[in-house]
Amino acid sequence: MKNVILRANNVCKSFYQGSKETQILKSITTDIYEGDFTVIMGASGAGKSTLLYALSGMDSITSGEVIFKGQKISNLSEKEQATLRAKEFGFIFQQMHLVSNLTLFENIAVAGYAGEPKDIKNIQDKTMKWLCQMNIESVKNHLPSQVSGGEAQRAAIARAMINNPKLLFGDEPTGALNKTNSEDVLNLLTEFNKNGQSILLVTHDIKAAIRGNRILYLEDGKILDELHLISYQEDYVKTRETKVNDWLTALQW
Amino acid sequence: MKIVLLSNVKKHKGSLIGIFLLMLFLSTAFGTVLTVWSNSNTYIIEQMQRSGFGDLTAWVSGVPDMSKLADYIESLEEVEAVEVQSVIFSNYTVYNQESDSEGQLIVYKPEEKRYRFFTQDLSDYKEQPSKIGKKEIYVSPSMISMFNIQIGDEIVFPLARAGSNMIFTVKGFYEDPFMGSSMIGMKGFLISEEDYHTACNILQNAGIDALARDGGMFHIFSKTNSITTSELNRMINEHTALAQYTEFVHSKEAIAGFMVILQNAFGGLLAAFTFVLLIVVLVAISYSIRSTMETDMVNMGILKTIGLTSIQIRRVQLMQYSIPIIAGMILGIFFSIPFSAFICNMTLTTTGMRIPIFLPIVWMIFCFGIILILLMGFIVLRTRKISKIKPIQAIFDTMPKMSINMQKKIGAFGKRIYLRLAVRQLSTGKRRYISALTVAIVLVFFASLIGRIDAWLGADGKGMMDAFNPADHDIGVQVFGTLDNAQAEAMIRSYSDITDMYLLAMPSVAVNGVDYTANVIDQPERFHMLKGKTCINDNEIILTEFVAADFGVAIGDVVTVQGERGSSEYRVSGIYSCANDMGNNVGMSREGYLKIAEDNPHIWCWHYFLADLSQKKAITEALENAYGGDVHVHENTWSGLFGIIYAMRMLVVFMYIMVAVFILIVTVMTGSKILVIEQKDLGIYKAIGFSANRLRVSFALRFGMIAVVGSIIGIILAAILTNSIVSFVMKLAGISNFASFATIENVLLPVSAVTILFLFFAYLAAGKIKKINLIKLIRE
Repeated sequence: MKNVILRANNVCKSFYQGSKETQILKSITTDIYEGDFTVIMGASGAGKSTLLYALSGMDSITSGEVIFKGQKISNLSEKEQATLRAKEFGFIFQQMHLVSNLTLFENIAVAGYAGEPKDIKNIQDKTMKWLCQMNIESVKNHLPSQVSGGEAQRAAIARAMINNPKLLFGDEPTGALNKTNSEDVLNLLTEFNKNGQSILLVTHDIKAAIRGNRILYLEDGKILDELHLISYQEDYVKTRETKVNDWLTALQW
Repeated sequence: MKIVLLSNVKKHKGSLIGIFLLMLFLSTAFGTVLTVWSNSNTYIIEQMQRSGFGDLTAWVSGVPDMSKLADYIESLEEVEAVEVQSVIFSNYTVYNQESDSEGQLIVYKPEEKRYRFFTQDLSDYKEQPSKIGKKEIYVSPSMISMFNIQIGDEIVFPLARAGSNMIFTVKGFYEDPFMGSSMIGMKGFLISEEDYHTACNILQNAGIDALARDGGMFHIFSKTNSITTSELNRMINEHTALAQYTEFVHSKEAIAGFMVILQNAFGGLLAAFTFVLLIVVLVAISYSIRSTMETDMVNMGILKTIGLTSIQIRRVQLMQYSIPIIAGMILGIFFSIPFSAFICNMTLTTTGMRIPIFLPIVWMIFCFGIILILLMGFIVLRTRKISKIKPIQAIFDTMPKMSINMQKKIGAFGKRIYLRLAVRQLSTGKRRYISALTVAIVLVFFASLIGRIDAWLGADGKGMMDAFNPADHDIGVQVFGTLDNAQAEAMIRSYSDITDMYLLAMPSVAVNGVDYTANVIDQPERFHMLKGKTCINDNEIILTEFVAADFGVAIGDVVTVQGERGSSEYRVSGIYSCANDMGNNVGMSREGYLKIAEDNPHIWCWHYFLADLSQKKAITEALENAYGGDVHVHENTWSGLFGIIYAMRMLVVFMYIMVAVFILIVTVMTGSKILVIEQKDLGIYKAIGFSANRLRVSFALRFGMIAVVGSIIGIILAAILTNSIVSFVMKLAGISNFASFATIENVLLPVSAVTILFLFFAYLAAGKIKKINLIKLIRE
């Protein structure tokens, strides 16, 4: 029996244009389990990213509740939400979103300080460890504008992981990368997951989706279906691709 | 074009409102300075003409036949006319407070219509009285600030010894265009002709016991403007006996100068302050243009792709900024009318004049026209980079970005992360903070400069008094009649030890034919020397810078000095400072003076230095109570000084309010733009777990650091430049001994005030960080 790490109960999200309401998320109820590599898929405009940010507390919800460690995220103060993002959650974005005037080292370290502001030596050591693990130690003093997209994304992953988050959120992290870099990033995520890291990833890329062991399909703001797979193994990539493709085709993707 | 303009105005309304407000404050302040200055100067001249002041006015006493002397002067070729007003010179006492300077009892003749009279509450003028009643007196409103005098109060004039006093009751206030200002110690009093004759009779009967003197004002009008007033003065002294009877003589320009010295001094300081504010406005506009170009680069590129030229886009920018500038300017000019009226009303009891308020249209057009041209030119210059925008580069965001010098990298973050984040943002985006830095520099510079002037002035105005006195002292005692100075001195010693003393007299002499007050001293080494040596020998004289410049003489040159007994040549041994008569005075040794004049024990004033300064007031009261009219005691101060100190304090308060307002506007303007530019980074910080408050603190710290750096530069600049700048202005008022020094108030106060204001307002401006929408940022 898996432990629930994050629970969504009847989560709704609407946007208003004047008095006109547009519902993006329609009463979504789901659990995210500890140790899972959960993937959210769906067509453009289905509400994938909106759901991701609603679940992570980055965006407010119109109704319903998101519960993390028994606490409603929407009830947390601004400071408590900041602490949650610093210590419990990690984020990887499609456009990396590194701070432009900080070096890669500083971009990673600053997230460490946000989580543990007093443990300076430990943060610096951890930063160096992550730089090495991501194989970007040679460019640690470069600015984001001075490195490749792959290096920047690896730095972004290191930043997301430095505080050992309970849950790692990814919003199309390979969307802006070439094939080689995409593979590298996905391999890293798979490796983290194998080591027990819970991951929630939004993607429309099947190659990314097959890394997950659970795929949620979102359509018109609702979870239409979900597919369960065994944990990712390189030997069975083709089989997984076929299975996911067939499932998606059945859902008229 | 109109669509683009309206859209730009809407988008940048925050900055434009900021510029509008800055221009509004600037224009109101400068418009007020111009209005008060222009109206004061014009009105004083008008009123002097109305009151019958000549091109040259000589105050005389002891003239055997004033009509004959007047006729004789009038017969001179260059003299058009001479009008004589009878006066009596006398000390006076209000509320047992003896005057520092003599008053002049002037006969009121309603048919001459020389004077304007105020209503009881000083809010307007009233009809001149048909006559002044017996024992009634009209005084200048400046007596209110000097003695807190009110209608119905009594003023005592000790005309002769043995209690021959004349006591007058204040009936009302009149406008005196010569002695009306509290800056001038001497005061004019209007009395009836009957009382004047009574006073003359008392003086005649008193003989040697007379304490007052009868005399007159000789208003001398020159025939043409072909000669200067100095030349006219010289010619009259050469051909008539006027010099023998002259107490003092002033040109029309000098009198006007005395009257408006306060307005001009503070107007000058305010004008300098508005110049500082203009720099702030330029900095704010410059920053706004730069950040607009940074944020609107893509839009400008798009506009170019659809066919707009650089000139057209720059024209839009020019119009965009012209709207708030011109609107602020026009509104500020209108606001300056009530502000000027308020200031003139508020200072009526100091200036003694009810300055009318008319907008000086020509001056306004000229000055604001120059400011407008300057601002427009500046905008045109600052927007020239628009021409370099390549449409595709802008659209695809490949324009050269701000370079980051990695050599100056702060290093890994450690403790004090807010501070280090702030330092990093500063070091990488430094050009964005230049405006805040410049504003901090100029505001602290000016605040420190004013603080230094205030420090020089001192809490009791000692700096100013030292400027007006030829030599230092604590208390001055002049005895009359049969009273022996030893008696007065013994009384002083009963209160405090006397540490030092010297003698000073201030008779009138003619130097190269022109009348000046001579500061005659028995210890010439006490003079406040600026250059050369003091007049130790009896054939030496020292001049102020102004007198030396008037004559075109330097140290080593020879001048001829005429006294009541004859004339002699004196070598200029040095230049000294004394601002009396706006610097128009000379210094001589006692021996030197006595070569050309008779010695008279009553002209000498004993100047004492006391061991216990707290006894000054007690000594003054004791001497006056013991010897009444036989002694005149003065401290190193005069009543008008408090008006100056009060005005100075008001200026400091006003300046700090303006500093706070300008820092608020500039910080909000700059901060808002920086927040827009950095909102993505701020969003990222929030996404990785920084709270809004931590980011606000870090944001405010940047401005705090900028303010500290700017303040230090401002303080250093003030230390370097204050003396030369302020000395230049002070010399216009005859003061040549200005020397500033650092105090806690003029160093720490501006630095801490400006830093705290920047920190506080930046923290407020960064409130928007709380509202930054993470999702919007991430999806951009």
